Amino acid sequence: MAGRKVTNTFNRLSPFQRFYLIAVAALIVGPFAPLIIQSLAFRWAWPNLLPSVWWLEQREKSPIPLAWDYVLSPYSRIYEATINTMAIGLAVTVICLAICLPAARVLARERFRGKNSFEFFLSLPLIVPEAAIGIALLMIFINLGLAGSYVGIIIAHLIPTIPYMVRMLTAVYQGLGREFEEQAMILGANRWQILRMVTLPMLMPGVVAGALFTFLVSSNIFLLTFFLGQGKIITLPTLLFSKISGGTLDASAAGITLIVSLPGIILLVISERFIKEEAFGKGFGN
Amino acid sequence: MSASVRTAAQRKARLLLIAELSPVVIVLFVLFGGALVLAVLQSLGFAPWFGVNTFPDFSYFGALWGSSAFWVSLWLTLYYGFVSTIIALIMAIILSLALIKPFRSKTLYKYLYKLPLMIPYTVGIALVVLMLGNGGIMSRLLAFVGMIDNPGQFPQILKTHYGWGIITVYVWKQVPFMTLAIYAVLLGIGRETEEAAAILGANRRQIFFSVTLPQILPGIVSSTLICFAFNVGAFEAPFILGGGYPDTLPVVAWRYFNDANYAFQLQGMATVVSIGIVSGVILFGYLAAYRRYERMRGRA
Repeated sequence: MAGRKVTNTFNRLSPFQRFYLIAVAALIVGPFAPLIIQSLAFRWAWPNLLPSVWWLEQREKSPIPLAWDYVLSPYSRIYEATINTMAIGLAVTVICLAICLPAARVLARERFRGKNSFEFFLSLPLIVPEAAIGIALLMIFINLGLAGSYVGIIIAHLIPTIPYMVRMLTAVYQGLGREFEEQAMILGANRWQILRMVTLPMLMPGVVAGALFTFLVSSNIFLLTFFLGQGKIITLPTLLFSKISGGTLDASAAGITLIVSLPGIILLVISERFIKEEAFGKGFGN
Repeated sequence: MSASVRTAAQRKARLLLIAELSPVVIVLFVLFGGALVLAVLQSLGFAPWFGVNTFPDFSYFGALWGSSAFWVSLWLTLYYGFVSTIIALIMAIILSLALIKPFRSKTLYKYLYKLPLMIPYTVGIALVVLMLGNGGIMSRLLAFVGMIDNPGQFPQILKTHYGWGIITVYVWKQVPFMTLAIYAVLLGIGRETEEAAAILGANRRQIFFSVTLPQILPGIVSSTLICFAFNVGAFEAPFILGGGYPDTLPVVAWRYFNDANYAFQLQGMATVVSIGIVSGVILFGYLAAYRRYERMRGRA
């Protein structure tokens, strides 16, 4: 009897947990419903729970919803922001991968003095306030002529992405035994052949995961882009910021919010299985 | 002979190791170290590019720390950071304890709860404005059930110094992040120790505080460190949803920095250095306390 009770507490959700899961899901996804409605509304005055005039009733006045008409037009600068976000994210991912891959190999396989302190040093960007690093970097970049340039933003984006990339790649290297590389060496392969034909293919899943996550982090960065972009380079997060900085949300801002959420939703669908343990389960310098 | 061969090989391996580590070290060291040194120098009056060079000059810190507005700003910054981290942590622990049990549609749920993790903070701000603003959805719902008659009667949630709008954004965005970290640790440790405790007669409360909590502590510490540091240094949420003057320190620093008067830029740097000092002291104190606790338990 007691044994059965124990199994039940461990394998079944309590009524509270069931309620809690639903409540959290509602809090997370719920607000997107009014957001979509807002972007399709023609007139939606307080205190109506639904728009009094939907776009559909006014479609002879505008062929597509008014807000979307604006969002999808060049005036909203959404195309420019999307292209910038993608290009910066891609460049950051490639550079970050190139500099983190060798470091991850060393961290996973070699022992050296001060390794713990070194790992802590690599985690530091995660716990240094962004505003502090952002403003100080802006000062340096202004002097170097990098402020408001793509190069400057890409360099700055390396700071918050390196820790995650190193952690994810190190985890992959740790999971990969040396045996296959040793066999290749015994069979007469040279260093370059081993890297190209044995190590890299086996690392591929981890590399893809790290790359996707780095791209995600980079595309979500607001502060560094906003400070260092100097208003010359806009990305999706900074574009949305400029639309809502007044503290109100009109129909076109609702449309832009939906577009800004889109890359994340797509990445979530294709990469859910990649985004877990490795980067997060690890403690901090312990 | 063989000894010298070995040392040559060792030396080569060592060089390779350094070569492999150096790119990442150089990038972080130059960006970080450069920013740090420059911020400190400038806050102490070294800015020859403006024609200002009174190094070392503590008057910028003096002026900053001497004003009562600075201390209010510091208090607000820490208050938003602490409250949202603690609320998010509690919600994340409850969520991850529910997530490790089997239930229907769990696969779908594991997609769903990660959504805020994937999208920028500015989206969270937009959602909070839409839901909690005076003309927002919550206000309309209250009107629908007849509790208020006009938007002005809805309690002011955004743009106050209580900062519930800011805290909501941080919590919304960070619960999934913390859940991921804690859930990962929970998966790693398995449930055997908890079951053993239950069979030995421990009640749920005892199991949680004496068995589960110490085990998930590494996940809790690393995720709260990261979230707290972010909250203290974030700009967009307090800028849009905050109560105006006095602002949080990152907003203050940004305003100083954009002032037409160059002298204020140095004051802005002093603000930046202050943010660094305060959060550094808090975070390292926290880490030190955690490591001490782990040593006491004989783990680390």
